[in-house]
Amino acid sequence: MSQEQRLELVTRGTVEIIQPAELERVLEEKKKPRAYWGFECSGKQPS
Amino acid sequence: MHIGTGLVCGTKIKDMIQAGFHFIIFLADWHSMINNKFGGDMEKIETAGEYYKHCFTALGLTEDKVEYIWASELASKPNYWERVIRIAKTITAQRAVRALPIMGRDMKTQDVETASLFYPCMQAADIFEMNLDVACAGIDQRKAHVLAREAGEKLGWGKPVALHTPMLMGLAGVQGSDKGSYDEDSKLSSVIASKMSKSKPENTILLHDSPQLIEEKFRKAYCPPTIVEGNPIIEYYRLLAFHENETVVLRRDQKYGGDMKFSSFSQLEEAYKAEKIHPQDLKANMARILADILRGVRDYFDKHPEPLEQMLKIEAR
Repeated sequence: MSQEQRLELVTRGTVEIIQPAELERVLEEKKKPRAYWGFECSGKQPS
Repeated sequence: MHIGTGLVCGTKIKDMIQAGFHFIIFLADWHSMINNKFGGDMEKIETAGEYYKHCFTALGLTEDKVEYIWASELASKPNYWERVIRIAKTITAQRAVRALPIMGRDMKTQDVETASLFYPCMQAADIFEMNLDVACAGIDQRKAHVLAREAGEKLGWGKPVALHTPMLMGLAGVQGSDKGSYDEDSKLSSVIASKMSKSKPENTILLHDSPQLIEEKFRKAYCPPTIVEGNPIIEYYRLLAFHENETVVLRRDQKYGGDMKFSSFSQLEEAYKAEKIHPQDLKANMARILADILRGVRDYFDKHPEPLEQMLKIEAR
């Protein structure tokens, strides 16, 4: 997969990247960069 | 879990795995406890976390594709708390308070528990503790990520890239400022106030809702004719239907003109503005498309009913 394709996959549908140039650098320098998404474990009722 | 979490986050996570990322789904049990989820009952929070894991697994994010890490795994290391304190030392209390809408709290909330101030500091510490290049979240988390970047720079730990996705609007559409203030930026504040939320069941589609229930909820949804701005159904086409499919077919009775095929979102948007699509057809078709997208999740929970049953039990209180 080309760098352009990776970048397109990562950025599509996003509203903001801080900062795009830094993301490009991460993709250039690393084959397997590390990312996460954190989720609170909550129920349907407001606490 | 609602479709904002399951589908908007789920598809982005899949994009990133495809782009070569090692991806961690972080189950923030400690953060939930601080935020008084389930009254701060850690046992119930663990049950909810297990249910979340099953939801993501049902969406195809199995343990061979993503790594699941619990906050309590990080918190059990002594060095973790040193990191939290180091970050806290770079942030004024006033600044930490201003970041609290990341917990879903209105900016005007009074009587903030002191534990809440640890929340943004822990969120930043998690990023460095897991040695991440990119932190992903909904746009409502941007304050936490901005703090993490600033703290990382001051401490010489580097600046994580922050990637933010849109908030999926609830079925009731845009909510005004009377629903609370979540950001200094009034537009972003309204986006956050309007998001789909588990605490408003009638406003929300859950991943395992039956096709009948989805249809019923959609029938009551806000969908003004010809208006696309602030129309949640139009938003679902943009963020969900066209994300999963190249073309979208709207099925319609022959007597109302028959099926319509759209090869881009903007085509559909223009047709709706020009009154070529009736709101009822727009809703009924989105309900059908969504029920299709979620078929795999329903099948999974038919085969593994226990995590969902456990979740419903703790939610019933």
